[in-house]
Amino acid sequence: MSVSSTPINRPIKSGWWNSRTFRRFVRHRLAALGVVMVILLTLACVIGPYLLPYNDLYIDLRARFSPPLTGYHFLGTDPLGRDIAARLLMAGRISMLVGFAAMILSTMIGATIGVVAGYYGGRIGTVLMRFVDAVLSFPSIFLLLALAAFIKPSPIMITVIIAITSWMEVARIVEAEVRSLRERDFIMAARMLGLSNRWIMFRELLPNAMGPIIVAATLTVARAILLEAYVSFLGYGIQPPLPSWGNMLNGAQQYLQSAPWLAIIPGVAITLAVTSFNFIGDGLRDALDARSDLN
Amino acid sequence: MTRYILNRLGQSLVLLVLVSMIGFAVLNLAPGGPLSQFALTPGMTQADLDRISAQMGLDRPLVVQYADWFWRLLRGDWGRSFRDSRPVLDVIGGHFGATLLLMGTATVISVTIGTWVGIKGATKRYSIFDYAATVGAMVALSIPTFWFGLVAIYIFSLKLGWLPAGNMYTIGNGSFLDYAIHLIMPAMVLALVDVAVWSRYMRTATLDVINQDFVRTARAKGMTPRRVLMKHVVGNALLPMITLAGLQVPTLLGGALVTETVFTWPGMGRLFLDSLGYQDYPVVMGLLMFSAILVLLSNLAADLLTAFVDPRIRLT
Amino acid sequence: MSDKHRNAILHPNRRQALAMMGMVGATGLVLPGILGRDKAYAAPPSAPKGQVIIGFSQEPTVFNPHMLHIEVDEGIHFSVFDPLFNVDPEGKFTPALAVEVPTVENGGISADGLNWKVKLRDGVKWHDGKPFTADDVKFTLDLVVDKDFRSARRAGHDQVRDIKVVSPTEITWRMEKPYAPYASILAATFIVPKHILEPEKDRNTAPFNNAPVGTGPFKWVERVAGDHIELAANADYYGDGPYLERVIYKYIPDLTVLYTQFKTGDIDVTGLQWITPDHYDEAKALEGKTVQVVPGGTVESVTFNMEKPQFKDPAVRQALYHALDKTTIIDALYYGLPAPTETYMPQQSFYFNPDLPKHEFDIEKAKKLLDDAGWKPGEDGIRAKDGVRLSFSNSTTAGNHIREQVQQFMQQSFKDIGVEMTISNLPPAVMWGEYWMQSKFDSVVVGLDFLTGPDPDTSDYFLTSSINAKGGAGQNTWQYSNPEVDKLLAEGGQVFVPEDRKKAYLKIQEIMRDDLPFLPIFQYATIRGRKKGMTGFTPNVNNRIDSWNVGTWYWEQA
Repeated sequence: MSVSSTPINRPIKSGWWNSRTFRRFVRHRLAALGVVMVILLTLACVIGPYLLPYNDLYIDLRARFSPPLTGYHFLGTDPLGRDIAARLLMAGRISMLVGFAAMILSTMIGATIGVVAGYYGGRIGTVLMRFVDAVLSFPSIFLLLALAAFIKPSPIMITVIIAITSWMEVARIVEAEVRSLRERDFIMAARMLGLSNRWIMFRELLPNAMGPIIVAATLTVARAILLEAYVSFLGYGIQPPLPSWGNMLNGAQQYLQSAPWLAIIPGVAITLAVTSFNFIGDGLRDALDARSDLN
Repeated sequence: MTRYILNRLGQSLVLLVLVSMIGFAVLNLAPGGPLSQFALTPGMTQADLDRISAQMGLDRPLVVQYADWFWRLLRGDWGRSFRDSRPVLDVIGGHFGATLLLMGTATVISVTIGTWVGIKGATKRYSIFDYAATVGAMVALSIPTFWFGLVAIYIFSLKLGWLPAGNMYTIGNGSFLDYAIHLIMPAMVLALVDVAVWSRYMRTATLDVINQDFVRTARAKGMTPRRVLMKHVVGNALLPMITLAGLQVPTLLGGALVTETVFTWPGMGRLFLDSLGYQDYPVVMGLLMFSAILVLLSNLAADLLTAFVDPRIRLT
Repeated sequence: MSDKHRNAILHPNRRQALAMMGMVGATGLVLPGILGRDKAYAAPPSAPKGQVIIGFSQEPTVFNPHMLHIEVDEGIHFSVFDPLFNVDPEGKFTPALAVEVPTVENGGISADGLNWKVKLRDGVKWHDGKPFTADDVKFTLDLVVDKDFRSARRAGHDQVRDIKVVSPTEITWRMEKPYAPYASILAATFIVPKHILEPEKDRNTAPFNNAPVGTGPFKWVERVAGDHIELAANADYYGDGPYLERVIYKYIPDLTVLYTQFKTGDIDVTGLQWITPDHYDEAKALEGKTVQVVPGGTVESVTFNMEKPQFKDPAVRQALYHALDKTTIIDALYYGLPAPTETYMPQQSFYFNPDLPKHEFDIEKAKKLLDDAGWKPGEDGIRAKDGVRLSFSNSTTAGNHIREQVQQFMQQSFKDIGVEMTISNLPPAVMWGEYWMQSKFDSVVVGLDFLTGPDPDTSDYFLTSSINAKGGAGQNTWQYSNPEVDKLLAEGGQVFVPEDRKKAYLKIQEIMRDDLPFLPIFQYATIRGRKKGMTGFTPNVNNRIDSWNVGTWYWEQA
């Protein structure tokens, strides 16, 4: 779906919002907003818990189900009387860490498979890419749950299985990029210099495909945070008392009537974080894609 | 054409066998087992469990069990559920309708709204509407489906009391209206992500078409913009969407799983979670295979349909 | 039911009933409706009338009563089938397909407990019109030990030898050894039709299993998978009832929805898992509904794996018991509904020991116990002795929210005495598989029903030979081994007079309270609701299902 020609002879309405500059500005502003939000969230999760007077694990049954903005708990308390603000921030550490770690791991897997498939092409490439198609054609949450149900859930294992089910996008992008770079002069030159295949793949090709990889990686963070939330919400993810944004929502449904803040607060946190990463990813894609200006 | 289809089907079969092997291994190598749920029955002993496990053939080597399962599958026997000993296909069939209804409605909603938003965004490019739609789509893609469902239940069921909080229908009332009322919230929630995806793709596709020669020609001939849009633009822009519809099936299935959990919708997603919790292997395997087949077929159908509608594309 | 029918097995006596009533009163758990039901309510209709919808949160799917099944399935079994005799709420047996309950006194059981003779009711018909005879009973007793049949339970039945059909209404057999619990097992053994099942090649997958034919008060009509099961009145029923035209078991997978539908009147009776504790206050005040708290036989406990070095020292187990804030757990997390207990025996049982030492929540005492036993806090604040750190994991079924809250609460209390407890919850199929049965856990929070019906035998749970991890075949997953308990259980299982049996079981409870292989927390109590006018609902701690007597339910006429 490429854009075949420039916009022409459309009656251009005048208005401050329709200039190209403005459009880029808005895009970049969203991306900038994303960056700012991610920095703020990270800072809050790293420093915040030290500033709050409550421990995220401290149970006080006398104070259970305090609504937000009443009493001493800014965001209220959970069914065990634990401070939700403290839990939210500690959960943020875990959820975002899982998101980042899963991104790094899945990008590594995806990039390796993509670069190998793209560089060698032929039969190896076909087999690898059909395999990617196979995994892609599968509802990943099914696979994710099937795996999560049978391992002892810990943040590390959750990270690993999220990575295992989300590397395919990167593999596809890298393969396409590498296939187009493969025949370029500098690679020919490298071959003639007698550089090893491994050197060419990882030192010459991969750095040149870095742009799309970074975009995909950013979006993978968003996706991984969401997946963690899904799995933990369904009870197969991170186990209590360790909080994560997903497992704070697990069990919230039964208190929806009496204590709706249990469901609302962590959900807002997830949405904020995921939206921020998506904004950044979208902005980066725009910045890297010359054609996007015409679109 | 025939050769192409056969080729694709062949590839799909290989994929299916792969999926079944992975699925079978993951399920069976896991600790626990399908009889565990009965361990807490009063008076249940290890001796009973061992005996029943042997009677069910669960003590055989994994490879033998797989071969047995696969051989039966080839003959059309999907096995029987460990929980209610009904044939797996019956069990899945009993839940498939509910999921189909949910997914179908969600698709209709998302295609309708998504197409409208996408076309409007493309024709009124750089308008406030366009920007709002862009930002809205990105936010929609970021909201956890189940959470959106919870918030919807909170607002529309608990606070406003307009819609039921779950289930597919009221007992003893199977009227169309009753189904429709129960369907609204889960279908809207499931459609949310798809609306975002559709509207983005539709916007790009429409822009593609708008700038093509035949549209310019039509416009030059003096057709009203509206007629141009309806006659030339929309039809052509929808074409690539067919493929997209096929590709959205796995996402829809995954989304349905979560949505069904939140809204206690009696579909395949709930069945999958329940069966997984009790390691009801035959049903879980059946569902894995069933959804894999569904996805592969819908991908194939999408490709064929695209070729059929657009003679320029030749399948090789 | 006349008094003549109310014979307790082997030993009909009034003291038993009185003792039980006294205990019920003492525990503060009042069971309205258990006694004198017939006098308190209007008479049932002369012909079956109206229908009742019972909501279950799990779906009944196994209709052959001898195959592996879960609690809700028994709702169907009790409606469609009959055993030889039933157990009433007082733990007494009442005849069903048998004319009278065999006892030593009436000659049904020989004095040594080896020879049994059962006289059967004449003129009973299966739902398909065929007559019920002693051959059906023989077929059933053979079926459950058939090597090709996936029978859920063989214990007890595998002692039966030489089954003889004396006449269509009389059957005799011999037991390999005296086995007192067999009466309770028979009370849960539903008789299935020989003429339908015998011709089947594979009884595990027979059509009968999905469309059962019985002798019970209700006939099978249909099952809409994932939704409901419909039963209709059996007009030819020999016993009391049925008084309802139709019974519908409705499957509602979510407890909140189950409650909502009870509130709106879409269902008449809340079945398993009933009304959740957090809805109790609201439910009590509902117009036109009767809501009552009913004790169940299940006991919630923290169980230890006694072979783990942390738990070998009795002082540790005692200290943990003192650090367990039972009152707060029950009052705050379970809304004060269940009753605290010191034993595995339900408080309604004839064999319940009310004189066990009462639990004290006392952190200082717990610390002192550990100090005295030589468990000294290490640098990290966690106690240790001889290189063993007092740190262990605790598991239960993932997704049980209230239990997960209890775990986290316990975790904090234990930390106060220098004990580290980590939480490691697992999906049900993993949790109760090898992990539980082969004692791979450190500690577990679990609700267990230790008894089979009213019988006090717990050999499967406490005998040394029931430790699976050591080659046994029972469910002694705590790997508890005490020669004295072994001896008492062996003795108790062969004594046929309840008074004499009782001594052994009181003593076992005392030993268990001392040894503490598990910390008893409470005996379950659940909130049952029904529409006003629904009469005949009688809780029965000896059965797992509320609708055990649905044949005698009726709508009070206005």
